[in-house]
Amino acid sequence: MALSSGAATAILSRRRPVARNLSGLQWLALLAALVAALPLSGIVVTALSGPGAAIPLHDLLRYAWTSAWLAVLVGFITATLGTTAAWIVVMQRFPGHSFFCWALALPLAAPAFALAYAYADLFDPAGDLRLWMRGSLGFDLPFEIRSIGGAALVLSCAFYPYVYLAMRAAFLGQSVSALESARMLGCSPRQTFFRAALPLARPALAAGVALAVMETLADYGAAQFLAVQTLTTGVVRSWSVFGSPAGAAQLAVPLLGAAALLLWVERSARRGRSHDAAQIQPRPLAIEQLHGARAAGATMFCGLLLTLGLLLPAGWLLASALAHSPDLPRLAQAALNSLSMGAAGALVTTGLALALALGAARLPLAVRIASLGYATPGAAIAIGLLVPAALVWRIVPAGAAFWVGLCLLVCAYAARLMAAALEPIDAGMARVTPSMIWAGRTLGRSEMGAAFFVQVPIARASLLTAGLIVFIDVLKELPATLILRPFNFDTLAVIANNYALDERLGQAGLPSLLIILLALPPTIWLSRKIAAARPGT
Amino acid sequence: MTVRSKLLVLLGGISLSACGTSGNDGSPAAGGTGGEVNLYTARHYDSDMALYERFTRETGIRINRIEGDADQLIARMRSEGERSPADLFITADAGALWRAEQAGVLQPVQSAVLNERVPVNLRDRDGDWHGFTRRARVVAYNPEKVRPEDVDSYEDLAAPGLRGRLCVRSSDNIYNLSLVGALIEAWGEQRAEQWARGVVANMARQPEGGDRDQIRAVGAGICDVAITNSYYFIRMESGEDEADRAVVRPLRLGFPSLDGHGSHVNISGGGIAASAPNRENAIRLLEFLASSEAQQHFARFNNEFPAGPDVPAVPPTDRYAQFAAHPMPVEAFAEHQPLAQAIMSRAGWR
Repeated sequence: MALSSGAATAILSRRRPVARNLSGLQWLALLAALVAALPLSGIVVTALSGPGAAIPLHDLLRYAWTSAWLAVLVGFITATLGTTAAWIVVMQRFPGHSFFCWALALPLAAPAFALAYAYADLFDPAGDLRLWMRGSLGFDLPFEIRSIGGAALVLSCAFYPYVYLAMRAAFLGQSVSALESARMLGCSPRQTFFRAALPLARPALAAGVALAVMETLADYGAAQFLAVQTLTTGVVRSWSVFGSPAGAAQLAVPLLGAAALLLWVERSARRGRSHDAAQIQPRPLAIEQLHGARAAGATMFCGLLLTLGLLLPAGWLLASALAHSPDLPRLAQAALNSLSMGAAGALVTTGLALALALGAARLPLAVRIASLGYATPGAAIAIGLLVPAALVWRIVPAGAAFWVGLCLLVCAYAARLMAAALEPIDAGMARVTPSMIWAGRTLGRSEMGAAFFVQVPIARASLLTAGLIVFIDVLKELPATLILRPFNFDTLAVIANNYALDERLGQAGLPSLLIILLALPPTIWLSRKIAAARPGT
Repeated sequence: MTVRSKLLVLLGGISLSACGTSGNDGSPAAGGTGGEVNLYTARHYDSDMALYERFTRETGIRINRIEGDADQLIARMRSEGERSPADLFITADAGALWRAEQAGVLQPVQSAVLNERVPVNLRDRDGDWHGFTRRARVVAYNPEKVRPEDVDSYEDLAAPGLRGRLCVRSSDNIYNLSLVGALIEAWGEQRAEQWARGVVANMARQPEGGDRDQIRAVGAGICDVAITNSYYFIRMESGEDEADRAVVRPLRLGFPSLDGHGSHVNISGGGIAASAPNRENAIRLLEFLASSEAQQHFARFNNEFPAGPDVPAVPPTDRYAQFAAHPMPVEAFAEHQPLAQAIMSRAGWR
């Protein structure tokens, strides 16, 4: 969810001060990049370590095709839904507008796997709903949720907020004069959207869709749960059936390549953003007040999106959780563990990302590498983490294993989520002009001093944003937690996953709901913050 | 809130969680007699926890636990190397135990207690691992549409009589791999592949969901026969969920036979970790899990069948406890799993 923050400010063109000597900061940046690069190098090392698994080529091609197709579908659906929702919310007024403005981002609080559990159960052909439809209504749903279309729908419900937040920020910051010019040149409102507003917001669209697609590639279990066999299936089969982590890592390498490509696309799309309302735009947007059917349509569209992304799955999880008596002390302990790891992960990741943002002016490659962890497929990241972890495990004194285990886990979160923190911090830093830093330097601050007393305070809000984003992501994190956690340390996500593996979806409901509940307040805060981001109004 | 006070709150939170999980560094120094035992388990059933608590009450040995996917746990033990704190590795499939043995993360033990409690075909011949519960891979069927004799043998499941009427989960599911591994052992590769092709031809739909979903599909009339592990059916039949009970009420659990010698059975079992710092405690725990009372506990709460032939049957598994189980050594099919996957892929079993 790297975009949700200061994406409004991300529109500002990025100009970096040319510093003469940033060595201290550079070292920190290098350290951050190293942390992020370790799992990636772990995957490459493992991939080279042995022969692959004997998975037939036609199966591999089918997995790759399914992965690509799923990514395209999710990209298209999130782009359409997110952009439409953002445009309606920014440019039009209708009943419920001020609520939907921030509420449409709330599905970010729900882990994709929780959505998959809920939808798979709700729309199971042998489930209560479908039985009732067939029995009482005499017809059946025309689609299967356990299909590539169903998986694309579920993942899109989980990931459309990335596009929505990015596009809302872009539309809020767009140039009124560009829209007016389009109208004066004879464009209808519809044409104005497609020929002026949308092209101007292209960098934000690319960024939002890239995030949604990277999340799709990194998905751990949701697609698998919905019986869609992607490259993740190949990774799991290589490892679990053929006992070949090397084969699993080899399959992960093309996925990493795809992630790198997406990052490149996203970054190059951003290069064009300077034309996009670079100058602060004090005039208010021309808001349209909707009436009658159009107003009802807008409300229904937003309501449907929120229902599909959050209310329906959360409601279903709640309903199925009510039928079971939970182990409350264990859940409370897991919730505390989740919160603690979320907070620790947020602090460390934000700190490292800050170092990277401050010190990486001369290390552009470091930034790229640090961002790759975000799109590493969930099933493969465990392989990558085991290589560096092995080095630690083999030297750590046994008495310190618990704390060392937690530290490893926090580093793993930092490696996975660096991009999510880097994005908003980068955007926040872009507000700092070179002259501000030079002013600090003139007043006697060192490079480091200028960084911490000039740049950091100005970008303070974006640091908070980054921290909250990482916090939410850690609550939902599974693969790294599963493989690295120390003894007797369960998080809510781990417990939910255990129940789901044991085909006890009812019991998986409550821990999944608790994750959503813990993630909701920061999500609401983030979303409301961006809602107030229209410059000059 | 200042940064410092935030840090304090955060550290407080983690210390609390650490305290809540009660000493857990897995240190060998704390081991030895009485101390503790470090369990890496791929079984994550709530009912197992009660058993662990009982073990701790009876012996004073504290159990530290990491749950995870079997192969990830094996990979972790390999990465930890000789310093691995793991004492006992537990999982729910003979194939996974065999892979752990192959990975060199287990060590053989000779225990008279285990030899007495675990039949010889349910343990590794060198003593690297021992089974303590059995699960049969059998069928749930709709008796209105299928006669018991139509699902009497595994051949029947691939026979033309069931065209388009069979539900089964995907080929990479470890229970399916073990089943096909057993067929390879009994029939050879070629005939096992023919069987897999027959099953694919009989599928009512592409594989989706878990075993429970296949049973529910029979209940909903999507198919007439589902391949399932026995305990899923028994759990639905006797569990607390009224909807589940209603689904299976009209259905039957059938026990197809392999060459007339009984149904394919798999095990849950465990082995002592190669560098176990608390080896004696680990053996005690494994012996405890193989005890008659523990096997009855597994039967009662997780609806698996006891491994020992002399363990008295308890509800709700007792009504099926007399089924004929194939005497094939479980390690025989365990090592065929990669071949089984290859065969099923060739047959188009997704």
